[in-house]
Amino acid sequence: MAELLVLFEDEAAGRFVPLSYTRPLYDMRCGVFTLRERVALLSGSEPAGICRAHLAAVHGAGRWPLGLLASGAPLVLVNGRALDLAWLPALRAAPPNTVFVTDAGGVEIMLGARLTPALASAIFAALLEQQGAAALHELRRFARVVNVATTVLTNPWDLIVANGAQIVSDVAVWREHGLWPSAAEQRPTHDGVVLRAPERIHIHPAARLDGPLVLDARDGPIVIDAAHIEPFSVISGPCAIGPGTIVASARIRGETTLGPVCRIGGEVEASIVQGYSNKHHDGFLGHAYLGEWVNIGAMTTNSDLKNTYGTIRVALGGAGQVDSGVMKLGCFLADHVKLGIGVHLNGGAMIGTGSNIFGVHFAPKTIPPFTWGGEVFREYRIDAMVDVARRVMARRKQTLSAPLEAILREVFVMTRGDRARLAADARPVVSLESGG
Amino acid sequence: MHSIITRLAALRSLARPLALTFGGVVALSLGIAYLLAYSYRVVALPPIFHYMMLQFLPLWVRGLMSLAIGCVLLGLGIWRLSGVVVIQLDARSTTGEMVLGYTRATAPPQIAVISGGAGLLIPASLGRAVARMTCIIPVQDPVEYYYRASSLFSFTNVVFVAPTIEPIPVLLTLDDGSVHDVAENISHREDLAARHVVDVALARPPTPVPTAVLTALRGADVIILGPGSLFESIIPTLAIPEVREALAARRARTIYICSLMTEPGMTHGFGVADHIRQFRQFAGFAPDYVLVNAQRIEPEVQRIYAAANQSPVTLSPEEYEETVVPAMERVTMRDVMVEGSIVVEADVASSVVQLTASLDRPGESRTVRVLRHDPDKLIAAVQEIIRRG
Repeated sequence: MAELLVLFEDEAAGRFVPLSYTRPLYDMRCGVFTLRERVALLSGSEPAGICRAHLAAVHGAGRWPLGLLASGAPLVLVNGRALDLAWLPALRAAPPNTVFVTDAGGVEIMLGARLTPALASAIFAALLEQQGAAALHELRRFARVVNVATTVLTNPWDLIVANGAQIVSDVAVWREHGLWPSAAEQRPTHDGVVLRAPERIHIHPAARLDGPLVLDARDGPIVIDAAHIEPFSVISGPCAIGPGTIVASARIRGETTLGPVCRIGGEVEASIVQGYSNKHHDGFLGHAYLGEWVNIGAMTTNSDLKNTYGTIRVALGGAGQVDSGVMKLGCFLADHVKLGIGVHLNGGAMIGTGSNIFGVHFAPKTIPPFTWGGEVFREYRIDAMVDVARRVMARRKQTLSAPLEAILREVFVMTRGDRARLAADARPVVSLESGG
Repeated sequence: MHSIITRLAALRSLARPLALTFGGVVALSLGIAYLLAYSYRVVALPPIFHYMMLQFLPLWVRGLMSLAIGCVLLGLGIWRLSGVVVIQLDARSTTGEMVLGYTRATAPPQIAVISGGAGLLIPASLGRAVARMTCIIPVQDPVEYYYRASSLFSFTNVVFVAPTIEPIPVLLTLDDGSVHDVAENISHREDLAARHVVDVALARPPTPVPTAVLTALRGADVIILGPGSLFESIIPTLAIPEVREALAARRARTIYICSLMTEPGMTHGFGVADHIRQFRQFAGFAPDYVLVNAQRIEPEVQRIYAAANQSPVTLSPEEYEETVVPAMERVTMRDVMVEGSIVVEADVASSVVQLTASLDRPGESRTVRVLRHDPDKLIAAVQEIIRRG
């Protein structure tokens, strides 16, 4: 009987809001893939997911996924915070009732587990409520515990910090699972394409490369799916470009991941674009994370380094401003964020789901979900926001399905309190420490 | 167009009052107009009135403008009104109650269930009315069976938990001294039909009980025992010392859903009091409530069961210790005290036609009339007891 792979979220999901309001951690891109895609590549089958209830219809196995335990085969649980999965084959080969733990910022967490249905039933309720610590506490009573040294996500900026190394790791794994030949093995026929370290460059046969352009993989691999690279682009590795994406004469610096169906121009460095987002025009995006259906107007730029070269603070869900300990960090834009032209963002700026910001030179560092405005902020009416989302998605031949719309509406309700103080707190803030 | 008509149709009950209102507004307007016209003739109004009343326009233009604005406002008003829910004041139910909405007076209860087999799926349908329902499966059963069966339903807030991490065989000692594994399907053995269980034991010491089981029992507001086989689904779980300790620390009321029929080889000849006594013997407590079927069983059904050495589990008058009058309006239940438990008699069963087939001769199937706990009736009865507080 085939074992079932199940991705799960733990308490950390709350630290990734607003990015994680509309997406479980295991569906957030870091490296070439999301964790779900990575597990599917390794296992050859689509994993199931247990996530927060409001996301479960779209990203999980349903609001109350009793069917997950219906098989007599062991369940292999994988924490949605996991990045590199070098440990996964060992877990799958382990005897039933084995739990892998790892250190995450000084706290041991359940990285993965292989459990009989009976033991899985004992922690099922805890998993449904993202109580990873309680589940691990219970498993320590019954399961064999194995310590594993690996990297996991703990804070939103970990996505940015880990991205370069994860691209390298993902490409290595993908090579073993059917990645296209390198440019050294199969020389691209496109005119005017300058290749540096072609043995580390992998280009999909359907990709369209219009020279002159430069692909420089000397510092890391480059993977270009069925994308369109327009002339005068410079792409440095490590870098991954998803299918359907257009790189519009852009400078894409290392440690950058562009998901599927994006429009990217200007200068992008060490950033992740989840997918279906536009930054089509000039402007700098550095050490940033963009969700899906984000649109950034021309000349909008984010700072990713303080003039003082100090570490950057970020607003975390429920924890206030937290020192990231990272010197270079850009902005975090959740799903459906729209930024007008010429908006400047501080390093560590966190803009919530569905917010529409325009007509302001410096945006506040923290903007709650569903905020509308620039000089003055107010709540973005959910019906209007949904209408815009529907129009935006239709342009990319995607449909805002009823479950997706339900997620947006549920997030709107759950973040109403964040917007309650908009008028008092969300004045435009200009940081004198921000640099380029 | 259809949606517009549908929306406007919501106003049909307001048509007459609206027509009256419009008539009143028209009459008022005419009155104001006449008074104004009179004022123009007899009083010298300030020049501002010349512009306010649009007197610089020809009379017919003013008339058309007023009509156009009036039509637009009227249409807008009707459209907005049609978006408001309209409920007739005399829209009463036959009971004289009109419920526009309600809020739950108290937090939904947490329920723990100890049962097994198909019976466990009946209380699971209560899930949507509770905060959490933890169904503790029999110690000898694989938990995936229950998840597989439950995935056919749309249960929510329900989890099934095994009381031990590995299934443990259950050994039953009968009154003739013989010992049998519960998996032997004793109730189908003709030679044991007239026997009953005198002792229950687990084949090996149990592993520690999962915290989910213990916290569910300690924290539940209500613990439901059954419906299901007394010696296959309920008592073996209570044979685990940790479970018994958790039950001793419970704050919940316990409701035992008594079997409809005796089980050959296990509860042969048992009445309600005998069933309650098994809890006293093996778990050290008597359930607070025992729900017993009071529905009359058809003679045909009785004959079928009698042929299989089964008889209805009913309450006989000599078992009464005292009669309890419940503080409730419904009259479908009557309560008596038996062996320290309040026995609630209610209509909780239905006879159904069941198609049976043999594995040996799959081509030969037959229909039989059997008695089953009726999920709707049972849930209603359990909820009634829960509501007693």
